Amino acid sequence: MANLSLQHIDKIYDNNVQAVFDFNLDVKDGEFIVLVGPSGCGKSTTLRMVAGLEDISKGKLLLDGKDITNAPAKDRDMAMVFQNYALYGHMTIYENMAFSLTLRNENPNVIHKKVLAAAEILGLTEQLNKKPNQLSGGQRQRVAMGRSIVRNPKLFLFDEPLSNLDAKLRGATRREIMLLHKRLGATMMYVTHDQTEALTLADRIVCMSMGHVQQIGTPIELYDHPANLFVATFIGLPPMNIFDVKVEQGYLIGKTAQIKMTDEEKEKLADYEGKKIVMGVRPENIVEGGDIKVKVFDNENLGMNTLVHGYIGEHGDGSKIVAKLRGWCNYKAGDIASLEFTYKHFFDVDTQNAI
Amino acid sequence: MNEDEYIRKDRLRFTKNSLASTLAIVAIVFDVLYFLNIYKSDVNRSVGDFYYQIRIGGSIILNLLFMLAAFLSSEGIKNYKKSYGYVLAVLGIIQIVRIFILPMQAHATDITVGGVTSKVMENGQFITVIIYLILSAAACFAAAYVGIKKSNELEAHMASLKKAAA
Repeated sequence: MANLSLQHIDKIYDNNVQAVFDFNLDVKDGEFIVLVGPSGCGKSTTLRMVAGLEDISKGKLLLDGKDITNAPAKDRDMAMVFQNYALYGHMTIYENMAFSLTLRNENPNVIHKKVLAAAEILGLTEQLNKKPNQLSGGQRQRVAMGRSIVRNPKLFLFDEPLSNLDAKLRGATRREIMLLHKRLGATMMYVTHDQTEALTLADRIVCMSMGHVQQIGTPIELYDHPANLFVATFIGLPPMNIFDVKVEQGYLIGKTAQIKMTDEEKEKLADYEGKKIVMGVRPENIVEGGDIKVKVFDNENLGMNTLVHGYIGEHGDGSKIVAKLRGWCNYKAGDIASLEFTYKHFFDVDTQNAI
Repeated sequence: MNEDEYIRKDRLRFTKNSLASTLAIVAIVFDVLYFLNIYKSDVNRSVGDFYYQIRIGGSIILNLLFMLAAFLSSEGIKNYKKSYGYVLAVLGIIQIVRIFILPMQAHATDITVGGVTSKVMENGQFITVIIYLILSAAACFAAAYVGIKKSNELEAHMASLKKAAA
């Protein structure tokens, strides 16, 4: 398999629009890297540069120490799975999976073995004589993956492979990709805008915004210790609640509420005494029973949890807040909920970096 | 049976019999060359009214039927349907028999046009059309042989797989 190194990669289009700024990443052998970010953040462009489908404007791309920055796509020994499957409709599944090897004039018996092995892994053995239009979306995506597997590439690239599937199928196919990675032990790069896919699949996540890398880390690092306000609000569902507060004599003073700081928080925010900061609280870090009053305007029961939407303050004149409370709650619009924050994140107002 | 041989047979489960199918199409191509060569003989009625008889109508219908049957057999044999192999063998025999109908008769017939007597089909054209018919027949036989052989192999292989699974 492969070690991939992206060093100071820039992408500048002919019209001088820069899509990717100084991208640095070392992908270890067998690692599953997920590039995540909103539309237009440069994640697909980065993947396409790795695949050789886009030129690299600046920087170096190394695969197992070999410079492949300007190597044509066909010589990179990578396989890409696209969102729209890109299967040949007139060919059977067997022929689709064998196609790339047939083009390379490989021995038909070797091709046969590889196709059957890949079909076995993906549970497609019974479908090999069918045409793509006879398969479901999930099966078609598995065929696209099978076509990559038979090539035994150094690196697998996935460009939003689950976007065309419905929610149920997406979940099932996501688990299949996860199992596939474990089974093959292959190095994989995966692009998605869906944070659930990123959190569940990745060994490490690269979070991007506006062409810049915001943070690289394990899913739990990004969730528990977001590097900045963008990552904090992008990762997590529902997104993190954000409040403007002032640090003053052991209290965090908000528009309509004040919260006593813990000793740990006082130490962390010692340099911010008298200054404004941004406080972030994840909805799941809110529990009932504190002294923060929230005027409820909506209550969504999800079974195990309840999402309580409201505004801080007894009169509801503070910031908007969403709390993910355990169990089944029956707040009505206008009710006052007493809540407590169990964990808070702090960000610098100017740099938006985590404190 | 060694592993390579086993895999070669196992491949038949997922690949079409394109060789047999192509050979059947080649038979059609030679048949087309044959009838184009025959029908162009009548330019400016240089051979009188030899071809203006019921036989030419029959020839046209036979050609159409041959092409249709060969094409359908090509598709059938592609999917290892053995019965189409037998149809192709019969088509090959028909192509051989056709040598003795129109070409042989035309070659044996003298015709006088404008006081000049000549053969309806000269030696050169006779040899050419015979070659086309023989090649068409050979392609039919080859397609039938390859088709039936591979169909038998696949049948035996499927039976062994079924036996192994049971």
